[in-house]
Amino acid sequence: MTPTVRVRLFASARVVAGRASLTWPVPSGGLTARRLLAELAERYPRLAPTLRASRFLRNDRYLADLDERIAPDDEFAVHPPYGGG
Amino acid sequence: MVVRLGPAPILLASVDRLLRAGPDDGGVVVFAGRVRPDPRRGRRVVALDYEVDRTPALERLRAIERTARRRFGARKVLLWHRTGRVRVGETAVVVGAACRHRAEAFVAARYLIDELKASVPIWKEERARPARRPPRPPRRPGARSAG
Repeated sequence: MTPTVRVRLFASARVVAGRASLTWPVPSGGLTARRLLAELAERYPRLAPTLRASRFLRNDRYLADLDERIAPDDEFAVHPPYGGG
Repeated sequence: MVVRLGPAPILLASVDRLLRAGPDDGGVVVFAGRVRPDPRRGRRVVALDYEVDRTPALERLRAIERTARRRFGARKVLLWHRTGRVRVGETAVVVGAACRHRAEAFVAARYLIDELKASVPIWKEERARPARRPPRPPRRPGARSAG
């Protein structure tokens, strides 16, 4: 079975993609956050502007940089700009 | 310290009991943010739907609370945000800071709400309806309608 990660989309990212979560394949050479984001933008071109403005988390931790590796079964979250209050 | 995140209505009457200011806390500042109709472009907001990524949101709220204590001398802190649908007139968020003096309490409470809005993974989506138009003037007897 192909290893996968779960991508969670919030707020405007969820609206643009039309779903709250995606299962994304991890290629044999591994996956960085940067590559995952490029693949997401390719699959959902309207998501690209939102991704440029978003913060990202791996397993509930904010990413230090986009070269961080995303491992199979990880959870990757896309957080568009916050709007609480 | 009290951190709350959930769909239950926020009761301002319970804030004093939750904040638990002590006898040495000479200044207590509480801010409540409420949903307003915000009428514009022919529509008015009837509710806001709040979405949250709960685990990192709770971690951020706790980090904000620690910073308010360390940097602003807050002795007691309350951070409370509703999730789900919040209707016009209802309270969506409350922050409170109890300090020795009023000046630091105001600064701490301002920090709490500003930092919450900027750095906690909470989002809102407006639920709006067309704004009510003013009632038409009564027709004069015998007047023809246009068109």
